[in-house]
Amino acid sequence: MSVPVAKEEMEQHLPLEFADEKESIKITGFWMFLVTDVMIFGSLFSSYAVYRTSVAQGPSAYQLFSFGPVILETVLLLTSSFTIGLSIYSMRRQNKQATIAWLIVTLLLGAGFVISEVHDFVGYVAAGATWHQSAFLSAFFILVGTHGAHVTFGILWATTLLIQLIRRGFTPVTTRKLFTFSLYWHFLDIVWIFIFTFVYLNGKIV
Amino acid sequence: MPSFVLYLIHTLFPHDVRRPTELGADFLIIMSGVIIVYYLTKQKKWRYLWDEWLTTVDHKKIGIMYLIAAIAMLFRGGVDALMLRTNLALPTTPVISASEYNEVFTTHGTIMIFFMAMPLIFALWNVAVPLMIGARDVAFPRLNAMSFWLFAFGALLLNISFVIGGSPNAGWTAYPPYTGVAFNPGPGENYFFLSLLIAGMGTTMTGINFLVTTLRMRAPGMTLMKMPMFVWTTLTTAALILFAFPPLTVALAMSLFDRLFGSSFFTLTHGGMPMMYVNLFWLFGHPEVYIVVLPAFGVFSEVVATYSRKALFGYSAMVLSVLAIMFLSYGTWVHHFFTMGAGPAVNAFFGLSTMLIAIPTGVKIFNWIFTMWGGRIQLTTAMLYQIAFIPTFVIGGATGILLATVPADYQLHNTYFLVAHFHNVLIGGVLFGLLSGTYYWWPKMFGHKLDERQGKWAFWLYFIGFWVTFGPQYLLGLEGMTRRMYTYPLGFGWHELNVISTVGAFIMGAGFVVMVYNVLYSLKYGERDLTGDPWDGRTLEWALPSPAPEYNFARIPVVTARDAWWDMKQKGQTLANSLSSHDISTLEMPKNTPVPFLLGLSFFVVGFGMTFEWWIIVAIGAIGVVASLLYSAFDYDEHKHINADVIRRTESALGRLQG
Amino acid sequence: MAEKLQFQSEATARAHEGEDEGLPSLLPRFGEEKFPWIQVWGYIGSLVLTFAALILVIDHVLPPVALLSVILTLAVGQAALQIGVFMHVRESRGLAWQMVFLGLVLLMAAGMVGMSIWIMLFKSGVS
Repeated sequence: MSVPVAKEEMEQHLPLEFADEKESIKITGFWMFLVTDVMIFGSLFSSYAVYRTSVAQGPSAYQLFSFGPVILETVLLLTSSFTIGLSIYSMRRQNKQATIAWLIVTLLLGAGFVISEVHDFVGYVAAGATWHQSAFLSAFFILVGTHGAHVTFGILWATTLLIQLIRRGFTPVTTRKLFTFSLYWHFLDIVWIFIFTFVYLNGKIV
Repeated sequence: MPSFVLYLIHTLFPHDVRRPTELGADFLIIMSGVIIVYYLTKQKKWRYLWDEWLTTVDHKKIGIMYLIAAIAMLFRGGVDALMLRTNLALPTTPVISASEYNEVFTTHGTIMIFFMAMPLIFALWNVAVPLMIGARDVAFPRLNAMSFWLFAFGALLLNISFVIGGSPNAGWTAYPPYTGVAFNPGPGENYFFLSLLIAGMGTTMTGINFLVTTLRMRAPGMTLMKMPMFVWTTLTTAALILFAFPPLTVALAMSLFDRLFGSSFFTLTHGGMPMMYVNLFWLFGHPEVYIVVLPAFGVFSEVVATYSRKALFGYSAMVLSVLAIMFLSYGTWVHHFFTMGAGPAVNAFFGLSTMLIAIPTGVKIFNWIFTMWGGRIQLTTAMLYQIAFIPTFVIGGATGILLATVPADYQLHNTYFLVAHFHNVLIGGVLFGLLSGTYYWWPKMFGHKLDERQGKWAFWLYFIGFWVTFGPQYLLGLEGMTRRMYTYPLGFGWHELNVISTVGAFIMGAGFVVMVYNVLYSLKYGERDLTGDPWDGRTLEWALPSPAPEYNFARIPVVTARDAWWDMKQKGQTLANSLSSHDISTLEMPKNTPVPFLLGLSFFVVGFGMTFEWWIIVAIGAIGVVASLLYSAFDYDEHKHINADVIRRTESALGRLQG
Repeated sequence: MAEKLQFQSEATARAHEGEDEGLPSLLPRFGEEKFPWIQVWGYIGSLVLTFAALILVIDHVLPPVALLSVILTLAVGQAALQIGVFMHVRESRGLAWQMVFLGLVLLMAAGMVGMSIWIMLFKSGVS
């Protein structure tokens, strides 16, 4: 719809999270934060790319990784990206119950992801593959660990949002907060796709 | 219990920092702290300090706090420089030892870049940018306060290292493996990494804040191509901060993990690669030099137009060249380590990309000159810095091209030629630019001008001192003197040049003393600025009274031309003439909050605890961080209202209300 | 209350009149639909792309470099899908500036990874 709509008319059709000028500016600000986070992960990917063969005496990617848990984690995160999308869809349709329900589903899927990842990490460390072993392992743990820390932080953040949504309902502030959270969550999904591809799948290419 | 106290003393004041100089510094710091506390208590100023400054979210006050911090850090970094130069003038009887010399040049570089240049830029941004674009505040006032307190507590963390536990000593670039625990035990490098991580978070937030401010907060009618040049450089610099600071954060965090948690990123064993740190560091480091110089370019673009009483020549070309510099500066970082041996293809690529930057920079230089051409030039202090900047920066840039020539760089790498080059661009470009901006916007900040005669004295001392210091260093570099040596044998022919250079450094020191005297004198005797437009300015900040009221604009102006205020003055429609009582309505403004200060303090506690690996202290600080964040997540009381009557009274007291 | 309203309308005026002419590609767009078909198709698409990459690697039908290029292309496609379908990238009040900076940062991040690999190969005969 590239037909120029009259500005006042567009104003009335804006979703609630854009309705307040100051709140809508925060959405732009959050996009800019995501830009810095892309660079954080870009730096971590650079390190991993450089270190991926520096295995020293430790295990190589091929020896270390197994597909089972990684596929589980990928499906959990992709599904949670879908459910947070449905949560925003429900929010736009003013359906509070559905919004909250999909948000809770998202959180549970995210928690499942973190639990599976922590289980993986504990397994690696128990097998002696600590990050002291090699630069490859250091780069692997810091890249995947930073992503996991982001997901964990996201879960805590969304929990505070859940409380605010239940207590206050849809306001320009709460909808803006949920919208920025959804951006954050989709962004983490994208980062995970690259971790899945460049770390795990690439590790299995001989 | 006594053993605990002994442990504390041994950790906080290890044997090698219990030297007379450090103990003297300890004593001075404690005494000045006591005097400040006594004064504040006696004058009953604690409440005022807390309400008006520590909890403020007003961009103008935050700007002033940045300015004060930057001048204090300029003093600290300058004293470091004088200590270094004194040692080099007396090679046979060094005043400070080799290890102290390492600490001093490390803190000199770190402080000058991160804790002097950056806050001085943020001071000018905070003071000028919202006023120039016709906004009531920055996009995120609370985030702005958080940025400041993270910066301030980061700076504090680095500065206490000198007296508590030992300073960092691996240079401002902190290359591994020398920063590893094996070679560098003790808390010094921990201080370095943690303070820069904390301050770096604040800087990233400032970048986001000002990027969104310039994109979203402009007054109606101020399209991109009507923005003042300083706002353009703010936009591009903020974007560069977004792209450049994350690699630094990652590099610092990895080094810190190597030290504290036994990872193997930059170690010599276990497959670590120290050069990867260098790669990441300069991914930040090269954009960083443009982060500091672009705002200076912006200041010069404003100053030259105002004092030549002409519109800036070639505005569109200026915008394009700023954008070109932004893009190119991201693709040149390898020229800082050509000698690593990345191969001829890599070196040729990065040598060429470096030389390309000379083109947009040259465009800017010519545009400034053409702006002056045929203008009615007023030789104020700010304008003198501008005029001195042009030849100085051209020479600094030309020596940069020499260094970008790979074969020459193999000879010149890490010599005094390099030292002279980067001081040439950083002092001649950045410091001159920021001081020019400080003199230019001082009336807007404080409501009075700085005394011009003293200002010119300070300028000439800086300018002459600069060339006396760094001219000889080019020659020293060509004669093979390498950087970071605390003494040298006589008989290489280096001594005379070093003595001249040291004399120059002390001339610059005298310039600083005159500048501080200038500030103190002008506080009391400086010419008051009653019009709000002391320089007959061109941009919107001069439409406001000096200093601007809390809400900046009683009514947001509508912009129709590039030099908006100049255009209004030409058409006779100044704000004062057209503001009537019912134009004024109640305004919603951000409300003061203690959270940013407490968040900064909590991060400081975390940083201090991690420096000494005291995990209980870290946990306490972390609880503070989480509590601050939770508090602000549930705090919906962000705004206050300034009543229309209050605004009417303020405006009419300023003589800006009709009827 | 009237005064509050006046503030609101002033903010609205700012949102509109500050806009730049000549940047039509950044004009915001908002989508609306009766059923979240886009989300459903996006989800299915992301699963298909993921498992396509996985099967390619398990079967290992291509030589290593080609295989890596193909799965990276699939990942980029999936990122585009997530940004396009889920992230409402074109929505904004005023111009959708995030598109400019998102494009720029993806370019820079990719450049950073590629360049770092190139630089850290140490292909020098003189080091």
